[in-house]
Amino acid sequence: MEKKHYDQLNETIYTETLENGLRVTLLPKNDFHKTYGLFTTNYGSIDNQFIPLGKTELVKVPDGVAHFLEHKMFEKEDGDVFNVFGKQGASANAFTSFTRTSYLFTSTNRILENVETLLDFVQEPYFTKETVEKEKGIIAQEIQMYDDEPDWRLFFGILGNLYPKHPLHIDIAGTVDSIMEITPEDLYECYHTFYHPSNMNLLVVGKMNPAEMMTTIRDNQDHKEFAPATEIVRHFPTETVADINVFDSIEMPVNRAKSIVGVKGVHPAPTGKAALVYKTKMNLLLTLLFGTTSENYLRLYDGGVIDDSFSFEFNLERTFHFIDIGGDAKEPTAFSEAIKEILLTAKDSSELTEANLTTVKKRMIGSALQSLNSIEYIANQYSQEAYGDASLFDLVPTIESIKLADIQQLAAEFMIKEHMSTFHILPKEANEG
Amino acid sequence: MSIQLNEGVHLHVLPTKKYKTVRLVIKFRAPLKAETITNRAMLSSLLETNSKKYPTQTELRSTLANLYGASFGLSVTKKGTEHMFTVGMNLVNERYLSEKTNILNDGIALLEEIIFNPNVANGQFDEGTFNREKENLLDYYSSIYDDKQAYASLSLQSLYFEDEDQKMPSIGTAEELEKITATSLFAYYQKMLQEDTIDIYVLGDVDENDIELAFRKFPFTPRKKATGSVFYQEPTRNNLKNEVEKQEVTQAKYNLAYETNTYYLEKDYFALQVFNGIFGGFPHSKLFVNVREKESLAYYASSSLDTFRGMMTVQTGIESAKVQQVSDIISVQLNEVQIGNFEEEAINQTKEMLKNQILQSEDNAPAFIERLYIYDIVGKNLSVDEWQAQVDAVTKEEIIAVANKIQLKATFFLTGEV
Repeated sequence: MEKKHYDQLNETIYTETLENGLRVTLLPKNDFHKTYGLFTTNYGSIDNQFIPLGKTELVKVPDGVAHFLEHKMFEKEDGDVFNVFGKQGASANAFTSFTRTSYLFTSTNRILENVETLLDFVQEPYFTKETVEKEKGIIAQEIQMYDDEPDWRLFFGILGNLYPKHPLHIDIAGTVDSIMEITPEDLYECYHTFYHPSNMNLLVVGKMNPAEMMTTIRDNQDHKEFAPATEIVRHFPTETVADINVFDSIEMPVNRAKSIVGVKGVHPAPTGKAALVYKTKMNLLLTLLFGTTSENYLRLYDGGVIDDSFSFEFNLERTFHFIDIGGDAKEPTAFSEAIKEILLTAKDSSELTEANLTTVKKRMIGSALQSLNSIEYIANQYSQEAYGDASLFDLVPTIESIKLADIQQLAAEFMIKEHMSTFHILPKEANEG
Repeated sequence: MSIQLNEGVHLHVLPTKKYKTVRLVIKFRAPLKAETITNRAMLSSLLETNSKKYPTQTELRSTLANLYGASFGLSVTKKGTEHMFTVGMNLVNERYLSEKTNILNDGIALLEEIIFNPNVANGQFDEGTFNREKENLLDYYSSIYDDKQAYASLSLQSLYFEDEDQKMPSIGTAEELEKITATSLFAYYQKMLQEDTIDIYVLGDVDENDIELAFRKFPFTPRKKATGSVFYQEPTRNNLKNEVEKQEVTQAKYNLAYETNTYYLEKDYFALQVFNGIFGGFPHSKLFVNVREKESLAYYASSSLDTFRGMMTVQTGIESAKVQQVSDIISVQLNEVQIGNFEEEAINQTKEMLKNQILQSEDNAPAFIERLYIYDIVGKNLSVDEWQAQVDAVTKEEIIAVANKIQLKATFFLTGEV
């Protein structure tokens, strides 16, 4: 077990890679009552083409399998895992993203027992034709709930424009039609390929004794048998700049129109520690250009172009990275034109000054420290980000290290007209709300 | 430590080394009145935007950013017969920073500036700021229609209550907002500053005396501290109100409201909590198991309590055509609890979850402050141990008794079928 202490933050992290390949990270926080366990596989909705474990040919599985699998992990031959956690005073949950599937519990007692339950239920798949069929109605309702959410539709609208071939444009849960095709065999095939311990990590944050915790985890894993670890081969369609659809729009029964502008990263993004630096640089750039401390924000807000629903983010995950900037808009075209104009002139923007950079750095350091109060936040960041051994605790020195020239260079490289796209949601005429 | 700074103005300092931040909360409390709710909502938007010294949003936000990203926000909520206007700020604890600063004092001074020195001239709020924030709030009201879960829940509230004050959303309405001017709002704000009951909370690694000195500077004048019950009881009526609304939605929302006649920390409160856990509050509850897991009719089907208004609501997202089936299951499941058809195991599981929840809320600074504030309002104070003991003491007979007090009073169905 390796131990790393972060002096300034007064935090200690323990890590170990077990014999079966499982990466374990422990972060004791003994002032807290609760403990949070998060078991994550590096497998998400975009991984729909791959060579199954023990085979040689590429297969394509129906859209939504990763999410469907997440739902079905909770059901066992002798009942629901929620009940086991419930009896042990823990609440459990799970979520699927584009590149990850995570299972979690939080509880204030019987922590070792709960950690074992977490490991055991995720490592004992049980799928039957009957249980798979039954889940289809539930997931269909989940998909339909999102169909009515304009912000979700807006986000997938811009993804559809930027990534017309890459599976990123497909809803994480799939479609009502695609989930109807899913069989127990699909689930087992995906499970055996992607739920190998060497493709997973376990994080425990909160009240604990780290030595005792690591022993419990190690013993639990030593008693189970797994196939030897092999490299997972995934396949993604090739996309070029010419594939980007520069504009699209839909109508929905809403009162307020919405606009979103996206910029696609077309060159491979850095990985490991360099990814953390890259992401931090981009976040500083976007905050300088669009944050509430910028002149741009004030001008657009006072001009009625944007309002409090305005938001921007930079997404960087396995195989993709992009910017999206969106919100409610009185005039969606005025919104998207204004945003594109700021992006295209970003490298020479008067917002990029040393003084402004100092301000946004302070703000970002402050938010990083504030977020360390939340065990959930720490856990989710840790498992979702692909920084290798760089972590949330390296964020403050990373922020401090970035120079204005780095940000100007990033603006010049990234903000390319041909890599941009816009998507609008317009109120349907007949809407009587 | 709690001290009275002035009559009706209290400061509560809660020193702890647990967090890397200091949380400051100022609570303004007034009786819930339909004619003032919208004023208060509008004030929360205005005061969050700028002040006399920082007349643009950029200046105010830069000041916050330079305080190492002090997070700052205003919000309005309601509890029973009361309306709360909350000013909240999180500051980083100085000892985690490389630079020597005095963030805490600067943060408190900024709160004072925002509250006592708003962007006002000639007896009215700055016209430009007022007009823009008014327009934004009107836009926000209209966007609630676009969020079908929120829309269904507000529609159910409006249907369930006869009382105009209770019908109104805590953020007000467009109709009321149209009546408000920059002058009338400033007049209301002065009244609010003078009359609302004030509670200030400071949680973090702080020195009690320093905090007291800093807040003594706030020119809060004496006012009458609000007293009396904050619970609202809707006059009993025997009819069931049903409303159906058609919209172009993919998923229908079917929500129900029940009278429980059980109030926060009063008799049967803990029995009601356990009842709710068995009925619809958790993934092991009857609603989740029967509506979702057994019949595959919904992704979500759950119940929640409002113990300041003696009400319980059930919310589901379903296929329009299945509403009768869902309605039947919900009614059968309530009846099952009423006749005692549930296992000891379900009781124990629910108790474990409730005890876990209360302990977890101790790890969340905003939730912890909120609980202390509510205790203060109802004039009770339970330690976590006492709370857990009360949960443990609930018997099956008590759960059945409380279940039998519950009566369906309103249903709202938002359907996509025309």
